[in-house]
Amino acid sequence: MTTMNCKKALSLMSAAVDGELSEREQQDFDQHITWCVSCAREYQESKKTKHLIREKVVRFKAPESLVNSILKLTDSPS
Amino acid sequence: MTSHNKEEQQISPEEAQKQRDFQEEAIQHINALYNYALHLTMNPDDAHDLVQETYLKAYKFFDSFEKGTNCKAWLFKILKNNYINKFRKNAREPGKVDYDQIKDFYHSIKDAQSDSEDLNAGYMKSLMHDEVYQALHGLPEEFREVIELCDIEGFTYEEIANMVESPIGTVRSRLFRGRKLLREKLDAFARKYGYGTEE
Repeated sequence: MTTMNCKKALSLMSAAVDGELSEREQQDFDQHITWCVSCAREYQESKKTKHLIREKVVRFKAPESLVNSILKLTDSPS
Repeated sequence: MTSHNKEEQQISPEEAQKQRDFQEEAIQHINALYNYALHLTMNPDDAHDLVQETYLKAYKFFDSFEKGTNCKAWLFKILKNNYINKFRKNAREPGKVDYDQIKDFYHSIKDAQSDSEDLNAGYMKSLMHDEVYQALHGLPEEFREVIELCDIEGFTYEEIANMVESPIGTVRSRLFRGRKLLREKLDAFARKYGYGTEE
């Protein structure tokens, strides 16, 4: 039996998506979304949003000139 | 290279060790820092300067870095502080976004990157779409920032809380609200590219 209501589940939603719940919270959360359609849907949508950001935001490589200038900082005579 | 200085320049064993430790711990995060700087400044030149200054400061204060802790998080914190000191005082208001500026930035950086042959394949595979970029940058800054730190950089809530100087509960709720807002903005885009209601 779970004591978690929708308000509590929503407050934990992002932590559930990011794997930041404690074991106990995770258990209660999982139990809640097995019977609450609305929270289960919110959970799926949040996961998709996170996935989309990770997929679609490009990662650039630092320019070589920048890397070289920083390496010079630690370019010691050996 | 600084080879002509090397013969004259003698450094202590402690300094040499510091340099080795710094190279091992800090340099590997340069791409992540550069990306974070780009997202903050939306300008490649400013991002370049910001990262350079961050590493200068980090090296100077490397003795204060606690070994075994997350060096990337430590560097991000320095970069963020630098950014606030350097740019935020006279910067645009959070939440007000100049889409032309974003578009220009996106295209200039894309062009600049496209002629680099040595790009890591992973970077090129996940090409950014204008819509996602615009949606992300259309969010109020406090939401955008935690989303970037969490979803793009992969920091834990504790690390993010430390970086943005807010409690973990605030990080949680900002992420929840930020993703919800972003989702609204991305709905049309998501349907267009098959990120609809089915996973």
